[in-house]
Formats: sequence, C-alpha cells, structure tokens
Amino acid sequence: MTRAVRTLFLLLIVSPTARAAEPAPVDFARDVVPILSDYCYQCHGPDPKARKAKLRFDDKASPFDRGVIVPGKPTQSELIARVTSTDPESVMPPPGLKRALSAQQVDTLKRWVEQGAKWGTHWAFSPVRAPVVPEIRTPKFEIRNPIDAFVADRLIREGLVQSPPADKERLLRRVTFDLTGLPPTPAEVDAFLADLSPAAYEKVVDQLLASPRYGERMAGEWLDVARFADTHGYQMDRTRPVWPYRDWVITAFNRNLPVNEFVTWQLAGDLLPNPTKEQRLATAFNRLHMQNEEGGIVEEEFRVAYVIDRVTTFGTAFLGLTFECSRCHDHKYDPVTMKDFYSLFAFFQNIDESGQTSYFTAATPVPALLLTSADQDRKIADLRAAVAARQAAPAKSREMARDEFAKWRTKRPAKLDVAGLVAAYSFDELKGGTVANAADPKTPGTAVEGPKLVPGKMGQAAELSGENGFVFPNVGHFTRDDPFTLSLWLKAPVHTPRAVVVHHSMAPVDAGSRGYELLLENGKVAVGLHHMWPGNSLKVVTKAAIPVNAWTHVTATYDGSSTAAGVTVYVDGRPAEVEVVRDKLTKDITYGGEPNLAIGHRFRDNGFKGGAVDEFKVHNRALTAAEVAEAAGLPLTDDALFDYFAAVVHEPTRTAAEKLRTARRALTVFVDPIPEIMVMDELPAPKPAFVLKRGAYDAHGESVSADTPKAMPPFPKDAPRNRLGLAMWLTDPEHPLLARVTVNRAWQLMFGRGLVETADNFGTQGARPTHQELLDWLAREFIRSGWNHKQLLKTIALSATYRQSSKASPELLARDPQNDLLARGPVKRLTAEMLRDGALAAGGLLVEKIGGPSVKPYQPAGLWEEIAMGRPRYDQGKGDDLYRRSFYTFWKRTVPPPAMTTFDAADKSVCTVKRQSTSTPLQALVLLNDVQFVEAARFVGQRMLKEGGKTTEEQVGWAFRLVTGRKPTEKERTVLVKLFAEQKALFEKDPAAAKKLLAVGEKAADTVLPPADLAAAAVLANVLFSHDEAVTRR
Amino acid sequence: MIGGTFRFDGTRRDFFAQFGLGLGGAALMHLLNADAASASPEKANPFKGILDRPHHPPKAKRIIYLFMAGGPSQLDLFDHKPKLNELNGQDLPESVRMGQRVTGMTAHQATLPMAGSIFKFAKNGKSEATVSELMPWTAKAVDDLCFVKSVHTEHINHDPAITFFQTGHQLAGRPSMGSWLSYGLGSANENLPAFVVLISKDRIDQPLYARLWGNGFLPSTHQGVQFRSGGAPVLYLDNPPGISGEGRKLALDRLAELQQLQADDIGDPEVSNRIAQYEMAFRMQTSVPDVIDVSREPKETIELYGEDARKPGTFAANCLLARRLAERDVRFIQLYHPGWDHHGGLPGGIRRQCLDVDRACYGLLTDLKRRGMLDDTLVVWGGEFGRTNYSQGKLTATDYGRDHHPRCFTVWLAGGGIKSGMTHGATDEFGYNVARDPVSVHDLQATILHLLGIDHEKLTYKHQGRYYRLTDVHGEVVKAVLK
Repeated sequence: MTRAVRTLFLLLIVSPTARAAEPAPVDFARDVVPILSDYCYQCHGPDPKARKAKLRFDDKASPFDRGVIVPGKPTQSELIARVTSTDPESVMPPPGLKRALSAQQVDTLKRWVEQGAKWGTHWAFSPVRAPVVPEIRTPKFEIRNPIDAFVADRLIREGLVQSPPADKERLLRRVTFDLTGLPPTPAEVDAFLADLSPAAYEKVVDQLLASPRYGERMAGEWLDVARFADTHGYQMDRTRPVWPYRDWVITAFNRNLPVNEFVTWQLAGDLLPNPTKEQRLATAFNRLHMQNEEGGIVEEEFRVAYVIDRVTTFGTAFLGLTFECSRCHDHKYDPVTMKDFYSLFAFFQNIDESGQTSYFTAATPVPALLLTSADQDRKIADLRAAVAARQAAPAKSREMARDEFAKWRTKRPAKLDVAGLVAAYSFDELKGGTVANAADPKTPGTAVEGPKLVPGKMGQAAELSGENGFVFPNVGHFTRDDPFTLSLWLKAPVHTPRAVVVHHSMAPVDAGSRGYELLLENGKVAVGLHHMWPGNSLKVVTKAAIPVNAWTHVTATYDGSSTAAGVTVYVDGRPAEVEVVRDKLTKDITYGGEPNLAIGHRFRDNGFKGGAVDEFKVHNRALTAAEVAEAAGLPLTDDALFDYFAAVVHEPTRTAAEKLRTARRALTVFVDPIPEIMVMDELPAPKPAFVLKRGAYDAHGESVSADTPKAMPPFPKDAPRNRLGLAMWLTDPEHPLLARVTVNRAWQLMFGRGLVETADNFGTQGARPTHQELLDWLAREFIRSGWNHKQLLKTIALSATYRQSSKASPELLARDPQNDLLARGPVKRLTAEMLRDGALAAGGLLVEKIGGPSVKPYQPAGLWEEIAMGRPRYDQGKGDDLYRRSFYTFWKRTVPPPAMTTFDAADKSVCTVKRQSTSTPLQALVLLNDVQFVEAARFVGQRMLKEGGKTTEEQVGWAFRLVTGRKPTEKERTVLVKLFAEQKALFEKDPAAAKKLLAVGEKAADTVLPPADLAAAAVLANVLFSHDEAVTRR
Repeated sequence: MIGGTFRFDGTRRDFFAQFGLGLGGAALMHLLNADAASASPEKANPFKGILDRPHHPPKAKRIIYLFMAGGPSQLDLFDHKPKLNELNGQDLPESVRMGQRVTGMTAHQATLPMAGSIFKFAKNGKSEATVSELMPWTAKAVDDLCFVKSVHTEHINHDPAITFFQTGHQLAGRPSMGSWLSYGLGSANENLPAFVVLISKDRIDQPLYARLWGNGFLPSTHQGVQFRSGGAPVLYLDNPPGISGEGRKLALDRLAELQQLQADDIGDPEVSNRIAQYEMAFRMQTSVPDVIDVSREPKETIELYGEDARKPGTFAANCLLARRLAERDVRFIQLYHPGWDHHGGLPGGIRRQCLDVDRACYGLLTDLKRRGMLDDTLVVWGGEFGRTNYSQGKLTATDYGRDHHPRCFTVWLAGGGIKSGMTHGATDEFGYNVARDPVSVHDLQATILHLLGIDHEKLTYKHQGRYYRLTDVHGEVVKAVLK
C-alpha cells in the first residue's frame, strides 16, 4: 500500500466528522434551509410551475398554516411523517428524485421541529450586521486585529488553539505570491530575515501593495470573473483586441479605485455624467462574452444569448448568485423568478448590437469605442475643426453666388447640364452576358444566374428572380466621404418585408452590411450606408410605400457628410419624407478590396424576387433636386434652380465643396485604422423586453421592464431605470450581497477558499459561511473604508490568522481537513500563472512590462492548425514576448494554451470566480518537459553556478532556496548534491546530450561554464520546479 | 495493517463532504480506488470513479465514438428516399417544412428545390439495411449495426450543435461526455488516461474546439487527452532533448526522495499524492508510445483497416489506434473526422469522405469482433446534425449541396449491448421529418450512459448550487435498441 493511501486510511479511522462537533440547537438558516433547499424546493419551492400540492417550503405560511409543520410537535407534523415514512407512495423526497435524506438530515429536521421550528431568512439576503468583536481574554491567542478575535472565539468553542506563526521565509513567500503573484527574490528574503523590527512584516505588505505587480495579480483574478479572452470563441474564433480593458483593470487596482466605483464603471460607465474614455472603456466588461460569426446563425438567437450572459455574469460576479436557472423557469432554490430574470435582462440589452459578428470584415462588434491616444485625440480634434470650418464655406460662397445666378438664369440651357454620370445601364440588350454602360464602354454590367430582358419603361428592362441580377465591376466604389447618386426605374410585383434592389457590399449580416444599399422594405425605399450594422450605420426609410406593380422612378442622393440628413430619396422626381432609422456612421464603408456594385440579389439575403429594373444610373456627385425633377419632367422652382447653379455651375461653391470633401477624407483616413473596442453605449429608448418562455429567444411572453429581483432590496426611488440605476442599487451600503461577495473573494485570494466556500453561490444551495460574523465584520469595515481593496487585503494579511504556520498535526488534519476553523495557515497549490512566472523569475528571465497586446510564448507546434478553422498559425513570439507574465499570454478560446489549462486555469468562456485545484500526471509532464520550464531551469542552473557560491553544497542550496524560498535541510542538501553529481557524470559521458539540453529555448546559454555542469544544474533546477515547496505555497 | 478492512460505503461526494479532501483529494481517492481494486479480492470490477459501483450491470466497458463532424448527409448514405428523385427539382412543399426554421444560408433562397440522391442504394445483409454505394464496406457489416434513423437535434449551426452533442448543452462551459464517464467510472488503466481524443488530420473545414473534450466544471483530471499524430503523442510527454530515459529516471528518484523528506516534515497527504502523480507520468512515458506503436501489428490487420492505416493521423490509423486503446481499457475513445459540411459540391465531397472512413469502420468492427471485444465495446458513428432534402445553391444532374438539417438524421451504433442488425425509427417519404420513434440527442446520451451502467439521472455534479448532469433535465433510454 502506498504511503498516500496509508495516510488516508489513518485519517479515516481517527477522524470524527465535523458535524458531530456541531452544537445541539438547530439553526434554521444554517442547518434546515440547506436540507429544504436541496431536497424539497425542487417541487415545493419558489417555482410555481414545478410546485406540487400547492406546498412551498420557501415561505413560512405555506407549511405552517396547513399543519405540515407543527412547532414543537414532530409527531403531529406531516413533514416529519413523510420524511420518515417507509411507504414508497408517501415517503418524501419521492424515490423518483433519486436523492434520499440521510438519517442525520431527518434527525436535524425532527430536532428543529421539536425545538419550535424557528423560521428566518436565508443569511445572505439578510442585512450585513455590524457584529460585536469578541473579547478574547486568554493569552494563548495572538490577537492582532478583529479577524483573529472572531477566529479565536470559534476555536475556543471548538477546543482548538491557534498555530504558531509561520517561519519568516514561508510567510514572505506566501504573502508575496498572494499579493503580487510572484515569489520574493533571495535579496528580499535576506532583507526580511535581517529586519528584526516589529514593523518588518507590515513594511513588506505595504511595499507589495504599492508594487505595480499587485495590479497585475488582482487583474489576473478579475479577468476570470470577466471571462476575458483574446478571441471571440465561436467558429473561426478570431482575435478580439480587448487588452486595453485588461490594462484598465490593472491600472484600476494599482491606483486602488474604490470597488464601488470599479463596479459602477464596468456596469454603467457610459451612463455616468460626461463619461471619460476610461469609464466607457470599463463597460467592455459586459461585452467580453463569446461572440458568434458563423454564417447562417439566427442573429436574434445569439443576441439573446449575449444578453443572458451579461445577466448571469452580473449575478455571479456581484451578487454571488446563479441566475442561469431562471432563464427557463422560476428558480427552484433561490427567490429569483423568471420575471426577475428578464427584468434584469431589460437592463442589459439596450445597445445597438448584432448577434452575429462580421465574417467578411474585421469590424469590431458594435457599439464600439475608438481607442485613441492623447495625441490621436488632439489630431482628430484638429481634423474635425478643419471639417467644421469648411462646412460653412460652401454656404457662404453660395450666398455670394446670388448675383451671378441672376445672370446665368437668363441664359440657362433649355436642359440642365447634368455632370458626373459614371454609369448608365439601359438593359436594352444582353450581349454575351453583358449589358452596355452608355457612360463608359469599359465597364459593362455582367448578368448573374440568367436574368431575363422584358419590355420595360424605356425599351427593355431586366426581370429578376430574387437569385439573379447583374454585377457592375469597377463601378461605384465610393467612400463615406464621396457624394454620389443612384437612380433607376423599378417595378415591384408585391410588397415583401425585404427586397435587395441595389447594393455595393459583400453580404448583409455576414459583413455587417458594410457598403451602401438601396432596398425595398414593405415597399418603402430604404437607403443605408454601413460600416457595421447596426451600431455604425446611417439609414433612412421613406414613410410612404411605392405603388405595387407600377413603374416608379427612385433616386437616392448622398452628400458625403456621413449623416442621415445627407441622404435624400426622390420618388418620381419628388423628395420623399423619410424616417431616420440610424444616424451613427463613424468609420468607412469600404473593405480594402471592394465588392461589385450589384442589382437584384445578394449573398444570404432576399433578392428582388419578381421585380423589374430599368435605366440604372450612377453619378459620382449628389444630384440636386432640380436635376432629379427635370429628369422626371417636373417643373423647376427658382430655389431649385439656384441650388443647382450653386452646386454645379458656381466655381467658388464647387471648390469649397471639394475642399470640404478633402477635409472629411483626411479625417476618415486618420480615424479608420485606429482600433476600437466593444463597449456599452445605451440606446436613447430601451428595447422592448419580454419574458422568454422556456428561455427560447423567439418565444415572447409577458412584457417586462427594467427592474431588480423582488426578493432583494427595492430599486432606489430616484435612480434612473438603466444600468446606472442598477449600479446604484448594487453599491448601496445596505445591499446585503456586493460587499459580502467581494470580501469573500478577497479572503479566497489569500486563503485559497472563501469564508463562504462556494464563492460563486451565496444562494440557499451554496455553502454556509464558516465564520458569518467575521464575514459581516469584514464587509462592514470594507464599506466603511470607502470600499478600499488594498486596505481589505492588508487587514487580512496582517492578521495573526493569516500569519499562522500551515503545518498541521495529524490530529488537526483529521479534525479539520479543509481548514474550516482556521486553526492553521492556508496552503495553496500555485496557479498556472504563478508556476510559470515563478520559474521565469527564478531563472532571471521574467520580463516585467505592464500592459499591451497579448503575447504568444512557447506552445507545442501545430495545436491551432490541427483543430481551428482556417488553419490559423500560432506565430510564436520572439525575445521579450517569451518571458512576459502569463497573464499576458494570448488566450484563444477554442484552443487555449495547454500548459495553463493543465494547471486549472479558468475556461474564460464563462464567468469563473473559483478555480479548480487538481493534481494530475499531465501537470508533472508540463513542469518536467515544457520548453518554457526547461529553459527556465537552464537559467536557474546557470545562475546557481555563477551566483550560488563556490562549492557544490553551497550552489545546490542556493538554487533550492531560489526556487522554493527556503533553505534546504542538511538531508535535502545531501540529496541535491547527489543529484547534481549523478547528472554531471551522465553529461560528462555524453557531451552531445548536454549540448542538446542547453539548446532548449531561444535564449543562448553561457559559453564559459563547462556544459556538463550547466546541464546537470539545469536538471537539478528542473527537479526543483516539481518540488512540493515550489508547487505549493505553504 | 490498520486500514486493511476499511470500506467506505457512501458516495464519493459524501466522502469529500465529510472529510473535505478537496480536489487534490479527488485524485488521491482515485489512487485509493486503484489500489483498493488491486488489493481486494473483488478485482473483477474495474470501474472505479465517483460511483462506488455502476448503477446497474454495464453492457459495455468502453466506447469508441466515431464523430463525423460537419454533419454527413443521411440522404446520400443510409436514409434512401426515392420520392426525392421523383420530385427532383420541385420546391419543397410548405406542408412538409411546416415553418421549421432554416439557417441563414438558405433562408433567403428564392426556392428550396428537392434533391434526390444521385447515388445508388441497395439492401444488404440479413437485416436488409439500405446503404448507398458510397459505403460498400459498411454495407458488409450491417448485420452488426443498429441504425437509428430518427435522431433529431435542436441546433442548426455547427458550433452549438456539436457542443450540444458532446456536452448536452449548446453553450460552452459544460463537461463533455467523456469527462462525465471518467468522473463517474474512473480509469480502468492506471497507465493511460480514461478519456482519449483522436482527430483526423488535414480534414478540418469546420473547426473543432478543445471544449468538446473539456472537463467544464468537473475537476480537470477528467479532461480528454488528445493523442496527436505529429510531435509528442501527448503534449509534453517527451523528455527534453538531451535528457535520457536513464537521466530522467535518476532525477525522478531524487525528486521522490526530496518529496518524501518534505512529506515527513509537513504531513500533508497532498505531497504523497503528488509523488504518485509523478509515478504515473513516468509510466505514461512508456505506455503511450507503446500503445501508439503499430509496427508489430500484422500486415493482415493493417489491411483490414486499409492502407491508410499506415499513415499516422488518418481516420484509418486512428481506428486502429482506437482498438489498441480499447484493448487497454481506455474508457472513452473519441475520434473526430471532420469534413462533412457539404453545402455545395456534395457528391464530390462525400465521395472523398467515404473513402476516408468506410473501410476503416469496417476494419474496426471486424477487428473488435474477432477479438471478442465488440461485445463489451460500444461503437457509435454519426455527426452533429443531418442535411436538408433540398439543394442549397444550384441543383444540376450531377451536382448539388445540402444545408444543415436538425429534424432527422442517422446515427449507427454497434456492439456493447446494442441489438445488431436492426433499424430504429424512420423518417417521412421526403426525408424531412421523423415519422416514427424520434430519438433526441439527450436520449442518445442517456442510452450511451445506460450501456455503461450509468443512470443518466443519477450521475450528477453540484456546481453553482445546482446538480448538473449530461442530459440536463431530459433524456430517455432508447430501450428498443438494447439487447
């Protein structure tokens, strides 16, 4: 039998259960609710649809009024009769549930009823109390702050004592890893050992909290919560450059932004008065869910999925509650109804987004924030000023044109001279699959999928099937700054919700509709210019529909202003009244490689089925009303003629217009390459919200509006009904959850597990706090301190509880294996990031640079290529990129970095507040064989030989201390010396092997030291990385 | 020895709750089980996972799941619909479609022309199962197969559909089927992982995702381990250049001594656990290369799977490897063969795919059978959805495409407690809807778990306050296909 098993058996034999130590009085919230919740709520809980026999145990009245529970009288209580029944017909829970109560649970219920069946609310929904700090009179306990008093109070009751303080080396390593994610350097250890002043430890804690590494460490934890990753997560799983959000998080922690503000900015930064760029950037938090670009998905289905992710992330991150159940039915355990869920949903959906990201373009999912530098902001302001200055010029010179207009008017040509025609297709003749362009013989149109020519408005016209039409290569490649005009005759056989008539784009949803288009929507003419629909678009729709089955002339002019007001739609020569659907075009409508202008059909869209078109023309300027009217044979007014004169004939006005175009272009050319990031940007009016039956995106039920769950504190009266109001509700000092959830996560960060072990679930199904008064005291103090995160961690770090030795006697280990009672210090296996960063730091390889794009360190070759779509290559970084902190490693959701996931890094697809901590053979393989660790071992070895002293004894001891943070014992030193000697002998026999080992990794080895020594030292360091003291912080 | 007579009778969850061993403890428990199995006289039961014993006697000890990623066309392989040839080119009647949503790929198509298969079908074997000319080898094995022609799913796009098939839920974050089995039943081989993934190389059209074999919220011990055909067969398995087997062994011996000193000083069982994990890692360095080395497989065996079996990374080679893993009692062997997403040019595309898989499937079934392993090995073949009876894009005499179709498709099962030589369920004459005995994805999952001795409603894991299971709140065992 292995040692492990022997130890375990010992433990099994001697350990009394934790439960046996419970005090006799039954506590409703602690002892009874978990049983009711776990075994009864499913059919007798908050969900009315699932409720049987109209009985519910989440509400006192229901079982008490019906005598199901008779206080003090278990024998008369139906509850007790049922749970003790042996009749399968009447026993509860029913055998079908496949989860029976244990004898102990039955006994708890019995005793509870016997003791009077006292009722109460679930602890986490009750207000945070300000508990009295217990007075500890015995000198056996070191009480450094109230944390210790609360812990000691419980230990005394349990008959246990505090452990002695940890030795200084381990304590320093513990607190340095916990607060910065990195190990202390040997010099730091020396300094701490040498500092015998009582304030030595506090000084170190202050230094650590002031170090920029602190922000990185905290951000690392938060990014799990924020489900931060570098790719979108679905199908192609393309890159999303969201690292500026990550960098903001680091900064926020480093400058100790109060947590209530940290939360508010992320939830609702865009809604703060005059929000700063930073505050808007913080709202990216809500957009970091996965985003789908797969062609053919139902856009609404995924939009709903994104909003749901925002709601559930909000629940887990800030309330410590699981909302997921309430998506499809009222929560079976916690008081969150489906209506509550969709009322929260109503807060999170009011942005102009698409459920599908653009496949054909690299557009940032809208709405987005332009990520400008301060320099760029200045330059943009200048360019905007230039546009504004020139915007006035054409109007001014127009006024000066009055006199000249009078002269021109007297001798004007009978027919206006219409300039700028770049294409005119009459569709009179189809020759070799092409139709001629009367304006330019070089650019004929090409028939696609056999459209027919039929008698039309003038000569022949093209008849369309919905799948066919024409393309017009090299025509109409306009930017958003170019004025242009589209005009044609068309005839629609019937009104349909959507018919694509003319467009210059690759696709609708799959390209975010980038380009421009003219559609019929239920017979109304819709004209749009899009960078990425719908958040970066302009679109107008005529108020009236065109007649069915009659030739109608439609002209759309655009003036290059990137505004909806710059679009005019003429129907049969007259300007049509339009409704502005979108007016937020801020980036260009081009692709880089432009698609063809087309008529009648579009990829994955509804074509102009059964429609006909004739006399299609394109002008590279916005025609004036006069030109359009004249073509339709309408009389021309003086005003219209003047507009024409100014725009077309009057040289100074034309020049001014051209200068304006140039100024706009300069702005676009400057802005377009600047990256953007997905953020929240509240729509002026909320989108309609509904309960979605069964959680299905298209099953609208009852209409709901933005609201917080009924069972929680009420929504503040004066707060706006939006995310900002929600943030105010959440950060109210009287809110029972946010402060508790936050301090619990801080405790988890320092102790490895929270005072509430289920940090992600404070609901009735979650764990009870081991020290509720302590949790409440911390929460109160935290709020009182102004939500000061550094102070919170400092309080924990300075407590005697945290500073205890983590060594446990077999008796204590058996008594309290999970360290619930805190009679010893915390032990944690290091996280994936700490292990790698610690190795890099030990090897002197770590490159400390804060922020910037994610990097691609070593990764086994071929991983992306094997399974990811489009065979993307993992372009491994060079130089510094190989040695940055792991927190900056590029995270591709569909193929995450394997060494990290092997060590339980979070999935990053969904909000995670608690990682697993496992021990597996694959972990051994990573530490022993991964290039990253082998290279780091080489450099630990090299440092050991150079810096570690003269003798092998000294050197191996130095390396041991470098990697583990403590000096080896003499026994350990003996093993290390032996190890080194053995390996050295092997490498001396096989110098080629030494050479090979020393070539692992990009960084060249020292050329002066003997290779066999270097290689042997590398193997020694490689072994040390696997040592318990290196893998675990004790 | 004081521990010798101890038996723990509760479930593992109780165990952890009571003794609070945490997740490191889970791994330790795993070792405990392995040891207990070899030490106890009841050696016969190799199933050691969270379940002390299976819920009922299992019919299968392991699964080989041949996942055809992309969605093969049931209409061109198994589900013969002469009616479609009769009505070739005509618009799909609304009375058949009944408003079923179609993907955005064909939602805007002006017509949905029905497309009969251009391939010939014949009845095969005693069971007279219909198989098209594309699968001549599979046709020979039909009497060992059970075709389920009425499988349906809720999802019409690859990512949600394949994630749903592998994890029981369309969104990321849930454990995969193999992880559930590893969690429930543990590993029956202490030198190899319980859940191994093999992917055909060079066939990716739609992507695969690591989450498909991920552990979700289960301990990462249960994640699928991909065996790769190039480089180290398991990530990080190979010693770094310059470190010999001998050198590594010596180094690990010293490490074990150091760890033992640490364990003696600290008294934390976690240290001993880690020692054991290193021992298994070292054993894997031998056992994995051993299992993937097919050089001693007789020529006649290779030929059974086809010449491709000599080329590492092909589907055929992976089938052969699957058999070798099955022999070593790896619990869940998951193969992925992508490339079935034939929106256009289906006839050409599906021909190539069938050349990849047809003979190899036959080889695998035959090889298992002659070794007496088919009786306790469940083999499953199928994709994440089927394909439409109408053409996506242009329909010509020799060419057509088919869009995704969730309402009916064919999966075949064989071995491990499955009735052989039968067909379960049927589709309507248009091949559009299920006409008889619908089988949902959750039903299929429930059935697979059932065959391994697991009641799908009982294998649960409490996460964020809720008991999760592979089949969510659905799934019924398809009794008709059980022996």
